[in-house]
Amino acid sequence: MAGNDEKGGVTMTVAPERHVTAPTRVAEPSAGHVGVRLALVAGAIAIVVMWWIDPSPMHGAGAAVTAAGRLAGLLGAYLVLVQLLLMARIAWFEHAVGFDRLTAWHRGLGTNTVLLLVAHVLLIVEGYSLTDHRAVVSTGWRVLSTYPSMLKATAGLLLFGLVAVTSGRAMRRRLSYEAWYAVHLTAYAAVSLAFMHQINAGQDFVGHPVNRALWWGLYLFVAIEVLRGRVFLPFRTWFRHRMLVERVVVESPGVVSVWVRGRRLHDLGAEAGQFLLWRFLAPGHVWSAHPYSLSAAPQDGRLRITVKDAGDHSAALAHLRPGTPVIAEGPFGHFTLGRSVGTRLLLVAGGSGIGPIRALAEELVRRGPRHHLDAVLVYRVGHERDLALRHELDLLAREAGLRVFYVVGHRSELGADPFSPAAIHQLVPDVRSRDVYVCGPAGMTHDVLRALRELRVPVRQLHSEDFEMA
Amino acid sequence: MSTAIPDRSRARRRRVRRAAAFAGMLTTVAGVVGLRATVTPRPHDALASSGLVTEAGPNVATTPSPTPAPVATGGTAQGKKVIVGEAYDVSYGVVQVKVTMTGPRITDISTLSLPQGGRSGDISQFAEPQLRSEALAAQSAHIDSVSGASYTSAGYAMSLQSALDRSGS
Repeated sequence: MAGNDEKGGVTMTVAPERHVTAPTRVAEPSAGHVGVRLALVAGAIAIVVMWWIDPSPMHGAGAAVTAAGRLAGLLGAYLVLVQLLLMARIAWFEHAVGFDRLTAWHRGLGTNTVLLLVAHVLLIVEGYSLTDHRAVVSTGWRVLSTYPSMLKATAGLLLFGLVAVTSGRAMRRRLSYEAWYAVHLTAYAAVSLAFMHQINAGQDFVGHPVNRALWWGLYLFVAIEVLRGRVFLPFRTWFRHRMLVERVVVESPGVVSVWVRGRRLHDLGAEAGQFLLWRFLAPGHVWSAHPYSLSAAPQDGRLRITVKDAGDHSAALAHLRPGTPVIAEGPFGHFTLGRSVGTRLLLVAGGSGIGPIRALAEELVRRGPRHHLDAVLVYRVGHERDLALRHELDLLAREAGLRVFYVVGHRSELGADPFSPAAIHQLVPDVRSRDVYVCGPAGMTHDVLRALRELRVPVRQLHSEDFEMA
Repeated sequence: MSTAIPDRSRARRRRVRRAAAFAGMLTTVAGVVGLRATVTPRPHDALASSGLVTEAGPNVATTPSPTPAPVATGGTAQGKKVIVGEAYDVSYGVVQVKVTMTGPRITDISTLSLPQGGRSGDISQFAEPQLRSEALAAQSAHIDSVSGASYTSAGYAMSLQSALDRSGS
């Protein structure tokens, strides 16, 4: 591998090979994390209690299967509400868990929620048919055609199914973000379609005024939270800050930066390393909001994002006109200098993960000449022409003493894994005493964190963000 | 940047984790149902005196009953009497029976009111004939609850008992 300067400088490097086999846990749950989980589990327990205290005795297979169906339905409905809350931008959740993990929870729970609703339908129909001594199909038809609000509920379940199917990995890859997002929005309609059959036909609600009032209260609470987080707050941000696109810069093939200016932007409280959800009010952009990290430390009433052309939306960013209004939600994310344990840093970027990494480096430099800057930046790309923001990094290296390594080439070309423990150790021998910030594709982030764990870098010094999340 | 193999194994792990979570959910539901089924006492016969009926207290005053009040109608020839029981609100609707007695024997029971509509209507539909034949066989209100129709059964037994109480006097 190439040598590196002691103080500042830019190096191209290739690392020697070593294979890693031992899988290591990467995620570390915090106290807030546990609090949120406990709150969600407590809600589920409350639902089971409500179901349990219904005094009707449960004897016979029909009654037991029906009771199981009711419980599945209640828990499924609760999980649907949890799904909405996870995405409602609730400040407590965002601080305790973080936007990226909330999204991961939402995605992980989604399929199972819909499957639980399907189980609810199957169990209820089977239970009724056992009790009534009728065939399953005719019972199903009878329920659908004569019980109150069942047609609406069925339509709701079909929509939920559609939402789940279009979010599965196989379909998600084939759909544009916009199409997926449009289908996902119908989940709100599905929730309200399903609500009436719960109130009008649910055994725990018909003739149980207290349960009914609590259930209404729960739905109202979720509705208010969703409206506040998803409608009110973005509009308030717009009226406060009036963000507009200032200019669009092509940084490298397929990578563009968008500069956004607005009023009183420091009130937004955005920090280097954080991201916002951006919605550009231009044709083709209005209907979707995308998470993009800031690629420059916020200053002078300006924000900048740097985006790689990963799909139809990000490609179209290059054609945004100056003056386009912007509605932003956020800021989100814990990927900030405030989280670091010490002052010595290793910053690792892969691909367009360079955006937040560069912002962190800039923020570090800006924190002033009082600090002795001791930071190493490793930037991994497949080809030299993919190095975005290179002149800015070179400038930081030249003027502020940031040590920058460009690791260029596909793994086959390098003939080695550049993020094996040995390679990292060779590049940054004192890595164990550094805070490490990693941002890149999920696979790379995972590999780097695993190597760092193997090098016994303390977990609290590891900070990571996957930028592929929506 | 990452190779395809770790991605694929991660995806597999994620699928396995999710399948395990779903199995866990179903097991929890089944476990809770099983637990409740064991903990809840089996309803014994003599519904009219079982604890369940406290839930279905008499509610005549607020109940729109088909007949104005529980009254014993006059007897006809050969000591045949028609007696209307009290109406009971059983959460899902009102249960009220009318008993025909020939001398000391219950010869017929019909309903003036049963829960209607949706699931309640279906339950009434299958429970009513069973309750009627049970009561006719027992010649009393000491009848078993029909599975899946405990509220209706309790209301039926209560209303029937109230009618029998009146006929005795």
